[in-house]
Amino acid sequence: MERGDLDRLLRRLRGVVGDSYAFADPYEVRLYQYDASPETALPDIVVIPGTAAEVAQVVKICADANVPITARSAASSLAGGTVPVKRGVVITFARMDRILEIDAENLRAVVEPGVVNLALSQALKPHGYYYVPDPSSQGACTIGGNVGTNAGGPHTLLYGVTVNHVTGLELALPSGELVQVGGRKAGAASGYDLTGLFVGSEGTMGIATKIWVKIQPLPPVQKTLMAVYPDVETASNAVSAIVRSGILPAAIEMMDKLSIQAIEAASHAGYPLDAGAVLLLEVDGVPGLVEELGERMAKVCRESGASEVRVARDEAERQALWKGRKGAFSAMGRLSPDFYVMDGVVPRTKLPETLARIAAISARTGFKICNVFHAGDGNLHPLVLFDAFKSGQYEAVLRIGDEILKLCADAGGSVTGEHGIGLEKRENIRYVFSDDDLEVMDRVRRVFDPLGLMNPGKVFPGDVLEGSAPLKPPNHARRRAAASAGGDEIWV
Amino acid sequence: MGLKAHVATLPGQEISVEEQRRWHVDDLLPSRLMRPADAEDAARGLRLCDMTPAAVVTWGGGTQMRLGGTPRRYDVAFSTDRMSRLLEYEPADLTCRVEAGMLLRDLQEALLAQGQRLPLEPPHPDRATVGGMLAANANGLGRSRYGTVRDWVIGIAIAYPSGKLARAGGKVVKNVAGYDLMKLHIGALGTLGVIAEVNFKVQTRPQVEATLIAPFNTSAPAIDAGTQLARQYLAPAAAVVLDQGALKECGLTADWRWTLALKLEGYAREVEAARDKATGVIREAGGRVEGGDVPPRFWDAARDWSAPDAELVVVRAIVPLTAIQAIFGVLPEDSQVMAQPAAGLVDVRVAAGSAASVLERLRTVGGDQGQVIVATAPAAVKTGLDVWGPPPPGFPIMRALKQALDPNDILNPGRFVGGI
Repeated sequence: MERGDLDRLLRRLRGVVGDSYAFADPYEVRLYQYDASPETALPDIVVIPGTAAEVAQVVKICADANVPITARSAASSLAGGTVPVKRGVVITFARMDRILEIDAENLRAVVEPGVVNLALSQALKPHGYYYVPDPSSQGACTIGGNVGTNAGGPHTLLYGVTVNHVTGLELALPSGELVQVGGRKAGAASGYDLTGLFVGSEGTMGIATKIWVKIQPLPPVQKTLMAVYPDVETASNAVSAIVRSGILPAAIEMMDKLSIQAIEAASHAGYPLDAGAVLLLEVDGVPGLVEELGERMAKVCRESGASEVRVARDEAERQALWKGRKGAFSAMGRLSPDFYVMDGVVPRTKLPETLARIAAISARTGFKICNVFHAGDGNLHPLVLFDAFKSGQYEAVLRIGDEILKLCADAGGSVTGEHGIGLEKRENIRYVFSDDDLEVMDRVRRVFDPLGLMNPGKVFPGDVLEGSAPLKPPNHARRRAAASAGGDEIWV
Repeated sequence: MGLKAHVATLPGQEISVEEQRRWHVDDLLPSRLMRPADAEDAARGLRLCDMTPAAVVTWGGGTQMRLGGTPRRYDVAFSTDRMSRLLEYEPADLTCRVEAGMLLRDLQEALLAQGQRLPLEPPHPDRATVGGMLAANANGLGRSRYGTVRDWVIGIAIAYPSGKLARAGGKVVKNVAGYDLMKLHIGALGTLGVIAEVNFKVQTRPQVEATLIAPFNTSAPAIDAGTQLARQYLAPAAAVVLDQGALKECGLTADWRWTLALKLEGYAREVEAARDKATGVIREAGGRVEGGDVPPRFWDAARDWSAPDAELVVVRAIVPLTAIQAIFGVLPEDSQVMAQPAAGLVDVRVAAGSAASVLERLRTVGGDQGQVIVATAPAAVKTGLDVWGPPPPGFPIMRALKQALDPNDILNPGRFVGGI
């Protein structure tokens, strides 16, 4: 952007949000160039609006000036969803973090996009309710971002992902309008389901400024089991056996040997270091029932080759088991300076052969690959370990990622289960969709955003979405810092 | 002389007057019939209609044909009856892929053989098709517990007027690749494309099922008990509040005025606990739990009640749970009612003469957080009614979506919200 244009735009934006909430200082905007993916790009201006009306005005001003807009909240996107590859304005929701209403009578809550996922469930707990989707980053990621990516989490196996829990949205559209779609009532019968269409559109249709979500009564009891297997194949077959047994677990997670070692080094969750694979299983329900289901599940686990089944005896033990799983990605810093994570999905029954193929890729290329994933719904998270400072490694890892996503697609699966296409997988989307499929989606996109200003460069392949920026080399220094901290920077 | 002149005659097979009557929509008759063999064939057929252009009404089982406005034009009946195959089904994955013309009953039978089911029960599964269920967003009585059609569809193939067959979603239960166009077509009444194939996730059948019948003297405590149960863990699989007339149609005669009927499902222990909880809530609300047997067809009849074959008017109010009582407050004496208090849904059979005034009253009471529509009505009554109510705030986008996907306005013109 020309200096003069930028100054004029900044002045107009400051007129809406105030001087301190819109800035273009190159030093200050640097903070907004990245998310949890390896890609980076500097925005021209960052705006921190305080209200929905301000968001709408900001969007209108940008649209009138033909300036790209990227919505960004916690920026925990692993797919580059919030990296402003076409520069322009980044809108961030740090100030719009209010829970507007808890309406237990109607089983709804109304929130602003910047509300942290876990903060909502914590606020609901005294009322006896919770918000179901629980991405592993739930301590940082926001409901607005969850709406953008249609976020999942371990407990979506039984209860569904974000879109199943959102009943209405207020949207700031590129036209400058603020429009409510859906709302508090249970069913959608007011024309097309724009709420459902918008969830998971990754910021390419507009910006959600208010969100109506379903809330659900807390289950009285939860029972968490850890089952230890000699290898991932036996554990994968056990997943199918559990599903076939008629038990509906709330979560089934798997960790392989390498991940277990990393997790144990970082958080001492109590996973056995000599295990080839560990399944983490959870059922919820009424007292009596969960014990019964726990026993049945333990039996199926043993019959399907588990050498040990351990049941969490109390909430502390349960939390310890989950802490290991939810901190798995951060723990990878113990094994490797860098890692690259994928989000492929395969039909549950294809897990054994898919994992075997991934192991073969690892053996062939010499790169270690860990697997920590949502086994119950076939959502894989292979992590390729590498060292970005070693020449050629990052490029090699991208090729491995591409190969893994292709084999997931070929197995009848998908290239993303919960992270989104973002910037990262916009070419891989061709593995699951034809030109015709993408053409229809692009037509729908243009209805909302005819000028292509909303989070440009995302979701669609470069040649479908004209003028996308080429991938830049990763920011090694930042990636290294996050990994060595071994803290909670990276989740999945 | 362009292409249009070349294909000026209507596409499809010419049909007899008798056949035309079979494919009537309200008072309109088509002159042609198309029966595509599969998804690709449907896309090719639709392209011919678009080039003419010929107005198309897509047909499944026809159980929801009285929903929506009277079409502005109607040239071709586009029937999916030949597209009725189960294409893929892997029980261990809990997923399947079917052609849109498959009968719900046939799908459920295939799933039942593996101890599984699709927990969606739209009216008349022996005639309703999968595609019709999606297009009409037809849901049964289980919506508060199991969600609606949108929660079980994981992939879709749509034939568009452009002649393209395009897919969205996929075959796996968790998938965020690309736009969720399933949501766009569910409930769109076939105005954006013809649903050709559908991928579902399915579930294991519950271990145990039980029914509770609770008599009440007035409607208010019955509704209260029903909504109260929805807010608690162990929500019933179905909860309906019926008046005497509706109850009778479901095979039960009663000397009490109002009934709360609950269907409990799940593991044996869960159903036991749910029964205890429900009994407690019912007693607290001043009701009792009736002993005795429930007729075997009770839940099927309750499911079909809102889509009667007879030429009746059914008005449907969808409101927040807290607004149900107010809806009951303005129902006329001579109406019949079946409500789903846990889902915020009230179905009312009203006399043709009072339909317009009932609609107006319910819309006033329902307010801007609710919606009141005509679920079914004879053609003659419908012409005097605003069947969808005022278009919602996002309507300009909806119209633009229609324009983008069906630019020549050939799909079900005039039947949808706001005259789309």
